Amino acid sequence: MLTRKLFRTAWKYKPQFISMIIMVAIGVGVFLGFNIEWMSIEADTSAFFEDTLYADFRLYSEMGFSEKDITAVKDIPEVTAATRYLSVNADIKDTKKSVNLNVSEDYTVSIMTVMEGNPYDDESDGIWLSDQFAEKNGYALGDTLTLTYQGLEISGEIEGFVKSGEMMICTADENQLMPDYESFGFAYISPVKLKSVIGIAFYPQINVRADMEKEEMEKAIKNALGKTILVTSKDEHTAWAGAKSEAEEGKTMGSVLPVLFLAIAILTMVTTMHRIAANEKTQIGTLKALGFRDRRILRHYTSYGLVIGLTGTILGVFMGYGIAALIISPDGMMSTYFDLPDWSLVMPAFCWPLLVGTVILLTLISYLSIKEMLKGTAADALRPYVPRVMKKSVIEKLPLWERLSFGTKWNIRDILRHKSRSAMTLVGVIGCMLLLVGGLGMKDTMERFMETLDKDISNYTTKINLIESADKDEAKKLAENVNGDWQAESGISYEGKTVYLEVYHEDNDKIRFVDKNNNLMKLGDEGVYLCQRLADTASVGELIEFSPYGSEETYKVRVAGYLRSLMTECIVMTDTYAESVGVPCHINSIYTDEAAENIENSPLIAGKQDKQMIMESYDSFMEIMDLMVWIFVLAAVILGVVVLYNLGIMSYVERSRELATLKVLGFRDRHIGRLLVSQNIWLTVIGVLTGLPAGVGVLSILIISLASEYELKLMLGALTYSVSILLTFGVSLIVGWAVARKNRKIDMVEALKSTE
Amino acid sequence: MAIVEFKDVTRVYTTGDHELRALDKVSFTLEEGKFVVILGPSGAGKSTLLNLLGGLDSPTGGTIIVNGRDISSLTNNELADYRASAVGFVFQFYNLIPTLTVQENVALVQEISPDALDAKKMIAEVGLSDHLKNFPSELSGGEQQRVSIARALAKNPRILLCDEPTGALDSETGVLVLKLLLSMARNYGKTIVIVTHNQSIAKMADVIIRVKNGKIKSCVEQENPMSADEVEW
Repeated sequence: MLTRKLFRTAWKYKPQFISMIIMVAIGVGVFLGFNIEWMSIEADTSAFFEDTLYADFRLYSEMGFSEKDITAVKDIPEVTAATRYLSVNADIKDTKKSVNLNVSEDYTVSIMTVMEGNPYDDESDGIWLSDQFAEKNGYALGDTLTLTYQGLEISGEIEGFVKSGEMMICTADENQLMPDYESFGFAYISPVKLKSVIGIAFYPQINVRADMEKEEMEKAIKNALGKTILVTSKDEHTAWAGAKSEAEEGKTMGSVLPVLFLAIAILTMVTTMHRIAANEKTQIGTLKALGFRDRRILRHYTSYGLVIGLTGTILGVFMGYGIAALIISPDGMMSTYFDLPDWSLVMPAFCWPLLVGTVILLTLISYLSIKEMLKGTAADALRPYVPRVMKKSVIEKLPLWERLSFGTKWNIRDILRHKSRSAMTLVGVIGCMLLLVGGLGMKDTMERFMETLDKDISNYTTKINLIESADKDEAKKLAENVNGDWQAESGISYEGKTVYLEVYHEDNDKIRFVDKNNNLMKLGDEGVYLCQRLADTASVGELIEFSPYGSEETYKVRVAGYLRSLMTECIVMTDTYAESVGVPCHINSIYTDEAAENIENSPLIAGKQDKQMIMESYDSFMEIMDLMVWIFVLAAVILGVVVLYNLGIMSYVERSRELATLKVLGFRDRHIGRLLVSQNIWLTVIGVLTGLPAGVGVLSILIISLASEYELKLMLGALTYSVSILLTFGVSLIVGWAVARKNRKIDMVEALKSTE
Repeated sequence: MAIVEFKDVTRVYTTGDHELRALDKVSFTLEEGKFVVILGPSGAGKSTLLNLLGGLDSPTGGTIIVNGRDISSLTNNELADYRASAVGFVFQFYNLIPTLTVQENVALVQEISPDALDAKKMIAEVGLSDHLKNFPSELSGGEQQRVSIARALAKNPRILLCDEPTGALDSETGVLVLKLLLSMARNYGKTIVIVTHNQSIAKMADVIIRVKNGKIKSCVEQENPMSADEVEW
C-alpha cells in the first residue's frame, strides 16, 4: 500500500521530482561527459601510440645519421628500440597538396596501422597513404602517386591506407593548428624505396623507444655519439603533446563545470526534499499515529531519494556517454583533430564510486529530511511543520525601511525567512550567469585570438617554407626578391626547457608583433623579447643565457621586453640584434604578399602556404569551440530554468495561503504576479552581479589551462555581457512569470480553509 | 434599504461526472446596518453563500445585487476591486500575512482600497497599539483575530463578512472578539454577516438565516436580540 502511496506522492510533487531528476541527470551527465572525454582521449591515444610503437625520443641531425650512429644508440642499455627515420614534407606532383613522407628504417619504432590494403613490406616499391587524405582526395588502392621532394620524384602505387601514431595530428608545421586532409596528409615508403630514389640512405632523424628522462637521454646520446645532438622527447612532439594537452584541457573542464552542476543538483535536492518532507509532515504524523514504526516510515520516504538518485544517475550516465560521444567518436569533434583507429569511450575508474556516492548521498539527504520530521511523539509529528518564527532583521532597523512599499517589505522578509530557498535561487542564477559568461567569453577570447593572428600579426599573403639545408644568403636573396620578411626558428635550451628562438627580419612589415594587451608593437634591436609564458623568468634589462641545440655554445642576451606569442613558447629577436650578439640563424620561412602561384620555383622552397589556407585550418578548431559554447549556453539555460522553476513553484506553494489572502482582500492577479516576479528580479540582479565576476574567474582558469598551448588574452565583448545578462534575466523573468501565472488559479476558498 | 439582494442564486460544483448543488435557487434580501447570522450544519451551503457574497466565487445561476450593483457576472479584476472596496473579511484562521507586522498587515489594504482608514487608529481601536511592530506569530490567537478585524474594517467596506470568526478561539476569547467585532461594526455602521454553526451567536443577531441542503430554510428577524453579556456561552 505504501508503494502505491510512493507513486501517488511522486505524482503530486511531479515538478519537484522531475526537476530533481533532471538536475541529478545533468549534474552526473556533464560530470561524466567531460571526464569520459579526457579519459577516452588518454586511453585511446595511448593504445594507438603503443600499437604503432610511438617514439619516446627523436634525435635530429641535419647531416643525417650514419649506420655507426644508430648502432651506438641501440647499444644504450635503456633503449628498447631505435631506428633511423626520415620525416619530410613532400609535394604531390602538379597539385597544391603535400604529404609528410615517413621512412622507418627498421620499422621497429613509429610504425603505422594498416586500415586497408597490403601490410607493410620493407622492400616494397609502393606507398602507404593516410586513409583520411586518400578519402578526401579520392585516391584508391593501386593508384599511382608521384611525390616531389627537393626536385626528386618519388612515384609508386598506393599499397595501403594507414593511420600512424607519429602523424596522429597531421599538420604540416606548428603554424597549422588543425589537420586539413584535403591539402595535407602523410605517407610511408620503405627504406629500399627511399634508397632507390635518392641513391643513399639519408636519415636526418633517429626515433627511439626508451624509458628515460630527457636529461638522461641527452647524456647517454652525447656519450654514445660523442657530440651534442638535438634530442626532443615525446612531450615536444605534436601528436603526444596534442593528446596530452587535450586530455589536460578536458580534465580542467571536467573539474570546474561539472562540480558546479553536481553541487547545484545536490543543493537543489537538499532544499526540495526538506520542503517535501515539511509538506508531508501531517501525513508522516498520520502514518505514525496509525502505528507505523519510524523505521518503516523512514524507509518509505527515503526511497524517494533513492528513486530520484537512481533514475537521475542512470539518465546521467546515458547523457554523459552522449556528451562524450559528441567529441569522442569517428564523427565527433575530436575526429577533425586526432586521426585514431579506435574511438572507445572510457569512463575513469574514480567515476564509479562517485556515482554510487551520489546515489547514497541523495538517499541520505531524504533520510535526514524525514528524520527531522519524525522527531518526538506522534502528536508532535501530526502538527504541521512551522517555519521559523519571523524575527526582525538588521535591515528593518534602517531608517529607510519604513519608506519601503509593502510588496518590497513582504519580499525582503520572505527572502530572509526562506534563506535556503533564496540562496538556491541565487545559486541557480549565478550558475546560469557564470556558464554564459564563461562560454561566450571563451568564444570572444578565441575569436579575438584568431583576429589578432589574422589581421594584426600575419600581414602577409603567402608563407614560403624553406628546405632545412637552405643557405642563409640565398634565402635572404629570395626574401628580397619577393619583398618578404623572413623568420629563422630553432630549438634552444633555456632555463632547463626547450623553447624556440625566433629571429625575424621584419623590415617589410609582413610579420608583426603584439604586446601583452594585444596592441601592435615594434621590435627593437637592443635585446630579446620573451613571450608571456617566459615573462616570469627574467625582467627587462636582465641578461639571460641560452644554448642552441646541437651546439656547445651559450649566448648571453639582454631582455628588451615582452610580447604575446600566440603559438610557440619562444624568445624573439630581430636579425640585427642576432648579428650583433653573434647568434647564428637558419632561415626557415619567408612571409610575402606575392601570391603562391607567382612565386618562382626554387630548390630552396619546400612548400608554400596561403595565409587563407592557414587560417581556414583553424575553422574546425573554432567549430569545436562553438559547439562547446553552445553546450555551455544550453546547460546554463536548462540549469536556470530547472532550478528557478522548481524553487518558484515551491515558493508559490508555500505562499499560496498568503497569496489567497491578498486575493481575498482585493488585490488583482497582476498586482500579486508583480510581487512574485519582483522577488525573482531582485535575486536575479544579485545573481547576475555575482555571476559576472565568477564567470570571468572561471574563464581565466580555463584560459590558464590552455596557456601551455596558446597565449590567450581574456576578452569579453559587449555582446557577451549583454547576451549573458539578458539571457539570465530572460530565464528568470519567464520562469517567474510562468509561476506567477499560476496565482490566477489559486482557489481562494480552499486555500483559506486549511489551518496553519 | 436593501444592501444585499440574492435572486434565485444557484451554485453548482462539478467534479468529473459528479454534480454538487451547493446552493439551489436561493433568494433573500438584507437591510443595511443589520447584524446577520447564517446558521446551518456542515455542508449546508452557508460558506458558499458567504463566498458568493464576498466575491470569492461567482454563481452558476441567478443574480446577486450588492449596493445596487449586480456582482454575479463580474470579471476577475472587477471582482478584485469589489472585494477591495465593498467587503471586509474576517476568517476563522485570521489569514494574516506572516511576514508583515501587525501595522503592516492592516496598512496593506491602503494599497488597494480607495477609502482606507488609518491603520494605527484601527489597531488602537482593537486595543493592540502596543503590538504595532509585532509579527502575527508573536501574537495569541485572539490578538491575531483582532488584527484581522482591524484589517477588515480598515478597508472601510459597507459589509463585513465573517466565517466562523470565533471558531479557532477558546470560548472566553471568542466572546471578547465577538463583542469587539459587534461594537466596532455598530460604531462604524457596517452590515455584518457571520457564518457559524454556533447557536449562541445567533441569539445576538438582528436577522437569522438558516440554511440546509443548499436552500434557505428560514429567514427570521429577531425583535429583541440579546447583548453578548446576556448570552450563555
